[in-house]
Amino acid sequence: MKFKTAFVRVFILALVLVLAACGGGGEEGSSKEGSKSESKGDQVLVFARGGDSSSLDFASTSDGESSRVTKQIFESLLDFDKDSFNVVPGLAHDWDVSEDGLSYKFYLEEGVTFHDGTDFNAEAVKVNFERWSDPDHQYAFKEDGYAYPLYGTMFGGYKGDEDHVIKEINVVGDHEIEFVLTQPLGSFLQNMGMHYFAITSPKALEDFGAKINENPVGTGPFKFVSWSKDDSIVLEKNENYRKEGLPKLDKVVYKVVPDNAARLIALRSGEIDIMDDVNPDDAAGVEADNALNLYTRGENNVGFLGFNTAKEPLNNKLVRQAINHSIEREKIADALYAGYATPAVNPLPPGYMGYNDEVEGYKFDADKAKELLAEAGYPDGFEIDLWVMPVSRPYMPDPEKAAEIIQDNLSKIGVKVKIVREEWAPYLEKTSKGDQELYLLGWSGSNGDPDYFLSSLTHGESVGGENRTFYDNAELNELLDAAKLSVDQEERARLYKEAQEIISEDSPMVTLVHSKPLVATRSAVKNYQPHPSTSDSLVEVELE
Amino acid sequence: MKIEERPKVEKLLTNPVKRNHQFDTVEVKVSPPWKDAVKQLRKNRFAVAGFIIIVFFVFLGLLAPLLTPYSYEEQNLANRLLAPSADHWFGTDDLGRDIFTRIAYGARISLQVGLFAVSGALVFGTILGIVAGYFGRWIDTIISRTFDMLLAFPSILLAIAVVAILGASLENALIAIAIINIPVFGRLVRSRVISLREEEYIMAAKAQGMKNGRILLHHILPNSMAPIIVQSTLGFGTAILDAAALGFLGLGAQPPMPEWGKMLADSRNFIQLAPWTLIAPGISIMLVVLGFNLIGDGLRDAIDPKMKS
Repeated sequence: MKFKTAFVRVFILALVLVLAACGGGGEEGSSKEGSKSESKGDQVLVFARGGDSSSLDFASTSDGESSRVTKQIFESLLDFDKDSFNVVPGLAHDWDVSEDGLSYKFYLEEGVTFHDGTDFNAEAVKVNFERWSDPDHQYAFKEDGYAYPLYGTMFGGYKGDEDHVIKEINVVGDHEIEFVLTQPLGSFLQNMGMHYFAITSPKALEDFGAKINENPVGTGPFKFVSWSKDDSIVLEKNENYRKEGLPKLDKVVYKVVPDNAARLIALRSGEIDIMDDVNPDDAAGVEADNALNLYTRGENNVGFLGFNTAKEPLNNKLVRQAINHSIEREKIADALYAGYATPAVNPLPPGYMGYNDEVEGYKFDADKAKELLAEAGYPDGFEIDLWVMPVSRPYMPDPEKAAEIIQDNLSKIGVKVKIVREEWAPYLEKTSKGDQELYLLGWSGSNGDPDYFLSSLTHGESVGGENRTFYDNAELNELLDAAKLSVDQEERARLYKEAQEIISEDSPMVTLVHSKPLVATRSAVKNYQPHPSTSDSLVEVELE
Repeated sequence: MKIEERPKVEKLLTNPVKRNHQFDTVEVKVSPPWKDAVKQLRKNRFAVAGFIIIVFFVFLGLLAPLLTPYSYEEQNLANRLLAPSADHWFGTDDLGRDIFTRIAYGARISLQVGLFAVSGALVFGTILGIVAGYFGRWIDTIISRTFDMLLAFPSILLAIAVVAILGASLENALIAIAIINIPVFGRLVRSRVISLREEEYIMAAKAQGMKNGRILLHHILPNSMAPIIVQSTLGFGTAILDAAALGFLGLGAQPPMPEWGKMLADSRNFIQLAPWTLIAPGISIMLVVLGFNLIGDGLRDAIDPKMKS
């Protein structure tokens, strides 16, 4: 018996391997008709991604997989262009800014209704903003564990905090609303375009209470239908959408297919229509395939190797610089991103306002690295832990491999690396508490403003939150504060450039690459445009 | 062997010389049991094939540095994902490392895991099993119920739990695999001991006043060896498979160690682009496990008296 079961196990393993290896060709189109025949004529789009949404209440999470879905259900006052962070009208068709930058007036679309039939108006906007800013608000659901970290980051805190910039929100008319600020905020309009500040139906907040994260009700082009956890989220067309003739699709299904390779097989077989995060190595194959289209998102992220500067020996700047000099960025960009990435010099991606192209950064130079290590008092190197995230991210499709290359690089200057793994949620929690030594992580932009990168990652006030390096330089903090509060964009650019010089010199992280994440679709998918924030609008997409 | 004591008794009888003579002729006909087993084994073609496979992998592991000019950990990113060729027999992986080299060094890891995990499980399982079976009563209850508890979990799940507690590394994976196999050996030995305990020669030894320790060591243990040997050989295979599974889940060997299960996991993204990165480690795991199973099965046929026709 024992022999039999073990033999069967081995045999199945072999069979799976062989079958999987042969599964590449010859299947196109065959299953497509079968799977969709019952809904002929219906435009059903299946979008496959690596992980499930953590919540459908976009404001209480910073999870990109969540806002990718809620982007279809909700709208914010302002919106971004299809392929950039240029601000365009959203639920507000027009806006005025006062001379002193302290008052913003928004003129709202009229005749818009939420999916539950209630009217969208200025009062609804006010309720939403108060919900995020006031932890004691009846819809803040604080007791149920809700928090709104992005509101705090973008608007300087919450109601009653010293730095909270939104002083009051005045409902001027039914469809006119005014935001009064305590001090100017350079990124205010960009922030209003962020999907994290979209508007939920106040009636839904009343009806569903803390269950709002599973019952999203907005004004967007698609209505929520169902969510089976870790499998799929189904949306259907909003017949009353405010824009005539849109959306074109009848139904959208967000499906979870964790493995990148499996997702590509599903795309080839026609089981899914759009897949997020193509393995860079598969890009050439997708491009050569007439039945598929390959898209790249804009470079809007940074993948980095962070130093916990609160721990020995990484509290020594020379050690950090030595490690910075020992990493072969170009090779990482070529090997792990198949060239769909640029070696990174600054934490800020090129193309952002204030990007400093004069910063030289750290060229690969093992000899120099060894010298610096010796100067720091570690001529024979040391042993150190490297934390590796367990999931593929847009800025790092294969963290495990990146870690292995870094391990190899560092072994050449005598630094012995032990790779440490942790589940994704505890990974984020423990790194922000500072349990790690070296760690891999990255950051994706969601409003196109440099502040979102530089302040989140390097400002001393972000320590304990997104600044997991524990780097806190008073001079840099001052620069970043000044840049945040200025409304003069040229002045802001100058300050951010200066900030990048300081960051480069202090080296709280090894900036590895800015990646161009890859998306593939079946060629039947038309008018699709990946957005650099990863939250693509599907409102104009149609299937041929 | 105890028969040798008999002549002493025989001397008291009236015709000792004749009896001794008769006894000698009987002894000539009996060949030692292990010789018998080897003979049986050599007749079993499957067992021989299994043996050849294992010997092949043992030599592959031992001679790895002589068989290949490459290092199993040195990365060469310029040569990534090369198809099999004269330079790289099994191709290269996504970090430009020679797969044949990694398979050869990986053989060391897998065979070591099998050896140490099985030895550990065997030693502890046998001791516990003998103690439980021989002494019975409350000791048996404690040990047997503990075994039942351990066996109630799916073994790989238990191994994952053990590794999760100890931390992910090859050593801990090895310990985990040893632990999940202890009850397998333990129960086997216990049931064997319980049936042996009632045998007349054990009774006789007890009656002569032999100490428990001596009985266990000289009578019970040698007579329990057959099933232990068979189980060890089969256990080798499952231990290697379990180690590969843990490696695949990232809970076993850590990079840059060339553990086969880990190699499979690392390459699964390239199943379409570079299938050779999966085929070599996959087939290696299959062959080694198959080898041990074939030998184990052959051994069972050869050693187990009940199977003899």
